[in-house]
Amino acid sequence: MRIGVFICHCGSNIAGTVDCAAVASKARAYPDVAYSTDIMYACAEPGQDAIIAAIKEHLLTGVVVASCTPRMHEPTFRKTVERAGLNRYMFEMANIREHVSWIGKDIEANTNKAAELVRMAVSKLRLNRELKPKSFPVTKRLLVVGGGVAGIQAALDAADAGLEVIMVEKQPTIGGKMAKLDKTFPTVDCSSCILGPRMVDVAQHPNITLYAYSEVDSISGYVGNFDVKIRKKASYVDWSKCTGCGLCTEKCPSKKSYDRFNEGVGPTTAIIIPFPQAIPKKASIEREYCRQFNTGKCGVCAKVCPTGAIDYGMQDEFIDAKVGGIVAATGYDLMDWTVYQEYGGGRYPDVVTSLQYERMLSASGPTGGHIKRPSDGEEPKDVVFIQCVGSRDVSVGRPYCSGFCCMYTAKQAILTKDHIPDSRSYVFYMDIRSPGKGYDEFTRRVQEEYQARYIRGRVSMVYPKGKKLIVRGADTLMGAQVEIEADLVVLAVGAEAAEGAPHLAEKLRISYDSYGFFMEGHPKLRPVETNTAGVFLAGACQGLKDIPSSVAQGSAAAAKALALLSRDMLDSDPQIASVNLNRCVGCRKCIEVCPFKAIQEIDLRGQPKAEVIETVCQGCGLCNATCPQGAIQLSHFTDNQLLAEVEALCRF
Amino acid sequence: MAIQDDIKSAIAEALPGLSCVIGWGAGPEALRAAPLFMRDAADVDKFTAGFLAVNNPALFLPSLKGAKVGLVVKGCDARSVGQLVAENLVSREAIHLIGYPCRGVIDMDKATAALEGRCEPGEVKGLREENEDIVLDAPGGEIRLAKKDVAADKCARCRYPNAESADVFVGEKAAPVVERDDYADLAAFENMALDARKAFWEKEMSRCIRCYACRNACPLCVCRDHCVASSREPHWLTQADGVRDKLFFQLIHATHLAGRCTGCGECERACPVGIPLLTLKRAFSRQVEGLFGYTAGIDRSTPPLLTFKLEEPAIKEREW
Repeated sequence: MRIGVFICHCGSNIAGTVDCAAVASKARAYPDVAYSTDIMYACAEPGQDAIIAAIKEHLLTGVVVASCTPRMHEPTFRKTVERAGLNRYMFEMANIREHVSWIGKDIEANTNKAAELVRMAVSKLRLNRELKPKSFPVTKRLLVVGGGVAGIQAALDAADAGLEVIMVEKQPTIGGKMAKLDKTFPTVDCSSCILGPRMVDVAQHPNITLYAYSEVDSISGYVGNFDVKIRKKASYVDWSKCTGCGLCTEKCPSKKSYDRFNEGVGPTTAIIIPFPQAIPKKASIEREYCRQFNTGKCGVCAKVCPTGAIDYGMQDEFIDAKVGGIVAATGYDLMDWTVYQEYGGGRYPDVVTSLQYERMLSASGPTGGHIKRPSDGEEPKDVVFIQCVGSRDVSVGRPYCSGFCCMYTAKQAILTKDHIPDSRSYVFYMDIRSPGKGYDEFTRRVQEEYQARYIRGRVSMVYPKGKKLIVRGADTLMGAQVEIEADLVVLAVGAEAAEGAPHLAEKLRISYDSYGFFMEGHPKLRPVETNTAGVFLAGACQGLKDIPSSVAQGSAAAAKALALLSRDMLDSDPQIASVNLNRCVGCRKCIEVCPFKAIQEIDLRGQPKAEVIETVCQGCGLCNATCPQGAIQLSHFTDNQLLAEVEALCRF
Repeated sequence: MAIQDDIKSAIAEALPGLSCVIGWGAGPEALRAAPLFMRDAADVDKFTAGFLAVNNPALFLPSLKGAKVGLVVKGCDARSVGQLVAENLVSREAIHLIGYPCRGVIDMDKATAALEGRCEPGEVKGLREENEDIVLDAPGGEIRLAKKDVAADKCARCRYPNAESADVFVGEKAAPVVERDDYADLAAFENMALDARKAFWEKEMSRCIRCYACRNACPLCVCRDHCVASSREPHWLTQADGVRDKLFFQLIHATHLAGRCTGCGECERACPVGIPLLTLKRAFSRQVEGLFGYTAGIDRSTPPLLTFKLEEPAIKEREW
């Protein structure tokens, strides 16, 4: 084998702390190295041309580039060697930037380490074999998990482009958090008026199949061909018969159910239609509040239903679907703010969350759009807003900024003034974060035109005094303590990833951070892709964002999905596992661990053996590591190749 | 012995439906029994059980795939069978287990030491069991030894003296010697300083002759011809004779048995140079029992290190 080694300077990124020429010179002594040089920017056009020229001039059969992480440029260089006529797998990359130059300043030590890494790459390359991909067909159907505004946007964009879309929504209606909002900043336009038509579009689009009140039960398969099992939760109402007339919700005698959609502002019935514009507008029974289920005696809804849609015996239903790509758009939930004992920890009825306040402001909410104190129903005059409740607070394990609270608090202060003109609003804030189009003007308007009093400082405690709540806090700009007698306290509760998001991430085989937010492929350059091919992200599930950003990301995710699913065939990665039948004892452990169901049992002369289905295998290596007999090898990462690397490093 | 006759009847009864029954018969010396493959009534007559029934008959199962075989098993042997079944390495339907209450087996090293100065183990002409003692017919007259003094270490911490999974159980079940394995032997070892421990293993491994008797005696070492120790493709290990190579092999052996080893001790018994190999394996077993709540040979599921779960119920990695 004739190996060429190229040590990249990456400008001064590598050459600043690594003697690249010395590394190249050391590499000349490694076995099978026929040519070695250092190069200013290997990835730039002159660099790539130099590699191609060297391959031709020195008749190289394999190439090692020592530069940055293969995450960025391995595809680049594979294409380069391919252009020079080599198989793309006759290439190895040594990461001497992230693993060497950026993490140490000692030039001698760095140079040695870089040389060792190059030696490992050379040793592995010597055992590389030419690999060729196979191609497989793609299922042109997209799954969107989550029917909030981001999911809706992704689904509509993909469906408009002609793709079949399946939308799965956990709640009985789509709309997500946006549907709960009264108005939206910075234009103060009605949330359901702008979201409603989009929701209707989802319901009516010929390319979209909506499964509301459903969850993704399991996912198997791989990019282009995912097998999804959807669990349609029992709503105890046959939705094919339900007309959404709402008679059942009027007559239901169990009137003290927790109202999930209205965030518990006022009770509701056990059989519900979440809100008037719900999509689908179908009733469902909350089993834990239903008298029929709890006492076995009631049946009122079944009696009044004009179409006989009530079915107490309904069971969860499972639907199998095949999709080519998946968009996760699971959104967020508010964190459990009751950890804040200083705000009453949930003991005072007149301390509410911002989402509860939205429902009070909403004309379709339980108070009919009248702001009322939950304790006595009176109209509040002094309303205190406390920001950063569970945001930017390391003491409760929430160091991050939720991003949208400054803006919606300003909006709520404006709406408060609109609803109750003689009211006074007070906003305790840490900093006002309003870096969006028209955002800063908005927060200025609430202070200047709506006379909301902004107090920079934290609230130390909230306690009741008679009918009032005393809010005691610091005004750090004045350097003084302030005490406000409030009728209502609204907490801008920080958000976290939606409940159950980590479980979905595990099903999707994507990673998530310690707050449950899904990890994007690259924080700047791959914001809606994940490191699992075919799985994309939209909206707050990737990190908190407001409506415009969520919508933009929904469209971006759809664009990525469309780019993937516009192809008829995909190339399978040839870095896959294969079974040595001589060694296989048929213990089935590989079959058990394979997350892609890519291994099947075959019968070889009466003995059970394992066999890898080539186009299904994703080369994750689990079977390889599991096989006790070492009967499974992963091509391009064979035991011998890894051993060669280890031995190149640990010579004794 | 009445129980021996009862076992023989159980074997004779099962034999027609089986290709053979594996038990123990007379060995090369009076103090050593050997595995006995019984195919007819004459073979069954040669069967012996008791204090000398040392060998683990589960060893032969993977190589007898395809035939229905019977096994006379002690509690520890049955665990090995259970583990092979749990790992799909043998089919439970193809095995007929005859269990009996085991009250310990001999450790030849201890017996040799006990006879030191009196006679060679090979000179003993016969042995009979009398309750808690064994009486040896030695050249200079009878020698009486307490069983507990010459029994294998594993017998002193036996939790499962009865083959619970047996198809036929002969006799009254014996009480477990201990309720729980406290791994006191490991604790004693771990009291040594790290340097001393390293020196200990280097000294022990310096005697290793890489004969692989430990591997060949292990009922769960099923790779046999494809063992990494001797494989050239992939070439994991050198054949070098250095202490580190030997330790490397033994650590691989122990790692491959992590969560699978039932502690039958056959590796240590087979070792011709007396390396305390079970210590390595028990260190892993303790770990796996603690982390995954998995007891090899008793649990029926795949050993935790040979499978993949998104979340381990016993390991609270993330509290969601």
